[in-house]
Amino acid sequence: MAPSHHPLIYLNNAATSWPKPPEIMEAISQSLSLPVFGSGRTTGTQGEDYITQAREELSSLLGEDNQEHIIFTHNATDSLNILISGFIAGQKQKQNCHVLTTALDHNSVLRPLHEYERMHQIKLSTLPFENGMVSPESVEAAIRDDTRLMVMTHGSNVLGSVQDISAIGDILHDHGVYFIVDGAQTTGHIPIDLRHLPVDAFVFTGHKGLFGIPGTGGFYLRDPQTITPVRFGGTGTNSISLFHPKGMPERFEAGTHNYPGLAALAAGVRFIKEKGIPSIADKAEHQTFYIIGELKKEENISIYHENPNIPIIAFNIRGLQNDDVGFMLARAYNVITRTGLHCAPLVHKTIDDGEGCVRLSLSCMTTDEECRIAADVIREIAQNANPAVNPA
Amino acid sequence: MRILRSIQHKYCADGSFMKEFLLDAPVTREFFLYLGNFGKIDQLPNLGDGFYKFDKPDWFSIKGFIGDSTVEVRFKKETLEITVDFLYLLFSSYHEGTMDLTFLKKKETLRAARVSKLLYGK
Repeated sequence: MAPSHHPLIYLNNAATSWPKPPEIMEAISQSLSLPVFGSGRTTGTQGEDYITQAREELSSLLGEDNQEHIIFTHNATDSLNILISGFIAGQKQKQNCHVLTTALDHNSVLRPLHEYERMHQIKLSTLPFENGMVSPESVEAAIRDDTRLMVMTHGSNVLGSVQDISAIGDILHDHGVYFIVDGAQTTGHIPIDLRHLPVDAFVFTGHKGLFGIPGTGGFYLRDPQTITPVRFGGTGTNSISLFHPKGMPERFEAGTHNYPGLAALAAGVRFIKEKGIPSIADKAEHQTFYIIGELKKEENISIYHENPNIPIIAFNIRGLQNDDVGFMLARAYNVITRTGLHCAPLVHKTIDDGEGCVRLSLSCMTTDEECRIAADVIREIAQNANPAVNPA
Repeated sequence: MRILRSIQHKYCADGSFMKEFLLDAPVTREFFLYLGNFGKIDQLPNLGDGFYKFDKPDWFSIKGFIGDSTVEVRFKKETLEITVDFLYLLFSSYHEGTMDLTFLKKKETLRAARVSKLLYGK
């Protein structure tokens, strides 16, 4: 059985989006066609300033006027490490630093926080979720006198549920609690306007909904003084000084940038803006609910969240292990998904006893025909596994 | 049947170690039924050309589609060093027609004792 008999259907966009629009490949190629002419690092002046372009595009997409408050990193995990470590480093009384997070969060949030808890630098509380959502009331109830920070996901990478960060942020700020939001799964999928969201830092990644390539990401930081820099080095500016610049964005960016990656990211954001986020969200909603509707026709398919806000569908087929279903989809039908725990172990502890599930995740490049085929073959597998339909 | 080479590997969410093996011939239904002498077989014979999965708890599992020249093997990480030779032996010993399993069963018993001692201390 050669899966190449079937066209590749890629439904793992919540990990890394594919295919990339042609503009992204062209931007990478163009960026590599000349030497790097980064400001302060060469006498060359030709070529494009990809860093500034990417910063302008991102600040425009996220509704942030001050583009220097957009910082580039390697990915969302890198951003979260910089922000979490930098916040904790700035705490004068670390033993009095209580931090909130949620059971919906990814290991990019959970692991840094658990490491700091193990090192006795913070006390950590993890809030549960119900029907895919962490309630603002549960956040308010968890705040203590020593609560300093909350780090949480904007959109669950397993359930596709988008959290009410506006209400949660208002509550946190009423109590003087700093708020870091992981937008890895939402940026590029739904409208985000940082001017009107009560967040102190918002993390994005380049290689998912923004159609960039792996190795790019970043964060928005409202007040640079709230995070202590934890990386230092060359910036191409003020090189006489042996100390790292304090101004933005150099304060958090050390070393040579990923020029091809940022060229791709700028092109990806331009692509998203041209298509329009509302249009992208409408298409995603239509396709996601079509697949959910089809899967619900099989009695032995369990869908873990039937009303996702971003194009993510988590399911299992009773009687089959999730990795076996992923194997069947990939080998027999060339449908690529992701199985297992999706780096979000606490979500799975709640929804499937920690066994894991199959995740389908779409992008605006996914076609209706691909959704139809994927739903059909998943139903076929379910029917084969259902003793009532297909007795042994 | 011979394993030609391992074409990819990764650590899985459940802690197991996965290797995908390229074989010198497509796997058959008879091959999986032969494996059934050493563990449990699950099958969805009407799915594609037939999905089969062999499971030998604490050792490894093997899954694949009939007619495919690759299989996915998941080793229990703790016992991999003890069991991997037996996996190769299972493949290389297989041939069409009636098989004498005496030698393989003896090997299996000896390995099972080592696996049990490693995992359970007895």
